[in-house]
Amino acid sequence: MHLLEVEDLTKSFGGLIAVKNVNFNVDEREIIGIIGPNGAGKTTLFNLITGYLKPDSGKIRFNGEEITGLPPYKIANKGLARTFQIVRPFRHLPTIANIMVALNSPRGKKRIEWVKTPERKAMEMLEDVGLSEMMLEPAENLSHGDLKRLEIARAMALEPQIVLLDEPFGGLSPVETEYMVKSIQRMHLDGHTIVIVEHKLHALMKLVKRVIVMHYGEKIAEGSPEEIAKNDKVIEVYLGKVA
Amino acid sequence: MVKRYFRAAYLSFLVHVVDIPPRFFAFLIFIIFLLFPITGPPESILLMMIIANLMAIYGASWDLLVGRTGQISLGHALFFGIGAYATALLYVYLNLQPWATIFIAALIGFVIALLIGFPCLRVKGPYLALVTMAFPLIMTGVVYYFKDITGGERGIYGIPRLFPFLNYNQQRFAEYYFTLILMLISSIIIYKIANSKTGIVFLSILDDELASKACGINVTKYKIMAFAISGLFASLAGAVNAHILSSASAASFTLTISFMPVIITIFGGIGTIYGPISAAYVLQILDRYLLYKVINVSTEWRTIIYVVIVIVLILKWPRGIARTAVDKLKDLEEARPVEVVYKKMKKKEESSGGSIHAPS
Repeated sequence: MHLLEVEDLTKSFGGLIAVKNVNFNVDEREIIGIIGPNGAGKTTLFNLITGYLKPDSGKIRFNGEEITGLPPYKIANKGLARTFQIVRPFRHLPTIANIMVALNSPRGKKRIEWVKTPERKAMEMLEDVGLSEMMLEPAENLSHGDLKRLEIARAMALEPQIVLLDEPFGGLSPVETEYMVKSIQRMHLDGHTIVIVEHKLHALMKLVKRVIVMHYGEKIAEGSPEEIAKNDKVIEVYLGKVA
Repeated sequence: MVKRYFRAAYLSFLVHVVDIPPRFFAFLIFIIFLLFPITGPPESILLMMIIANLMAIYGASWDLLVGRTGQISLGHALFFGIGAYATALLYVYLNLQPWATIFIAALIGFVIALLIGFPCLRVKGPYLALVTMAFPLIMTGVVYYFKDITGGERGIYGIPRLFPFLNYNQQRFAEYYFTLILMLISSIIIYKIANSKTGIVFLSILDDELASKACGINVTKYKIMAFAISGLFASLAGAVNAHILSSASAASFTLTISFMPVIITIFGGIGTIYGPISAAYVLQILDRYLLYKVINVSTEWRTIIYVVIVIVLILKWPRGIARTAVDKLKDLEEARPVEVVYKKMKKKEESSGGSIHAPS
């Protein structure tokens, strides 16, 4: 049994088929990447898995249990956390309170060991991503890079079994990207399962063990980064047809 | 010369006054409120303060819902009116004591808020505001239709006062203290809820609903919770108000009553809880005392002057009077000159027995 199974997932908006018969599996402790040109349906796929959109057809199973069509908060409480492509912090709340929101969910509450208070746990989560100095600062005062890390810390506060990261390197400087790659690597070493949607192939290929390529809503290739880099279809999609 | 004295006075103000915690000021104001009836105010002033107490509860309940969760309700009169009618009907048909009916009425408000919350909170933003606005209008129709039960346009009167065993003048004093304590308890409860962990979740919904869902928060549940708590306190205020005026009428369902907490909250500072509470008193005193008693302008002019003053003040301090005052006090503290900080440090050193360590 795989940790996450996606079976024949299809979603269309009017006449546009955003995701078309996509199949893939994620195993425990795996780190995989989903790539594809703009409009390939990667974010739609994420929204389908996390319950923000309802699929037209297809099934999503998590831990062997079907989660298709459940509301987002229930899916999050089952241990499937996500971040957003465009950062969505709680801007008026202090940084630490952003984490406290996640710790107030049923799953978050359960994950606080009895020796810790939620405040302490939130502080530790912020330390992990290097934001402890900004603890009491309202989130709107944070830089974009800090917000990206805050999002990840907020997702990790649920102690999820799978984290879906939607463009974690989007809008980051090279130095910040490097830091982010290291953070994600550390999360992976800690035993978390991670799925990344990303445009920055260079950073991504260093990280992941397996890549899924999407184009116009369809999965066109799957394999290790080396295989994908040599795949003719993928090169065609990214660079255009060889005459 | 004068400048120097002024500066000295300013510095001593910084050293001795600003450091006083805000809790102390709140306590001081409360003492003034407790002692104010000793001066023997006329009944109208006492009644004004009683209404201000109730408006403070009513405004704070609206602020908890709108200022903290962002779910705009423009029909809070629904709860206010339901509180009034519930307490009146419980007296007329079951002959219960005011002590019981007030709290049962509050609970009825709570239950109705729960029931209405489910369909209402499916819509968002301006649509929610419009939907909530419709409910008091529907209730007006219901009240007029069931004339035999509700008394129709005349309403229900002859509801007993809260302290029927006292004589007329004593009753107002007793009511004043009762509403004051009720206001204190209610506002402490609302303030505690707003600043609890649940309050953080409320604020997260105000900021970004989608992100709250991603955090595993059952957004609908929390919204309904806020709606119900808000309904409870609004009904409580409405019920007590009915006993003070010893009548319940369809006037409680009017737009005026719906917009009262909106004005109070925005005037005082939305999302602060203490904002609407202080604004309730400021606005009552402005309307019923300064314009009515002191200046004594005619009724039509009174409304116009009142509205103009409120609009100008809201334009001047869009963040609300109470919040602006608190911010100014904070700025003062942050901007204090080096001498003050030094004096403070010295003071602390003396009190700690002159330690040899330099203060860090």
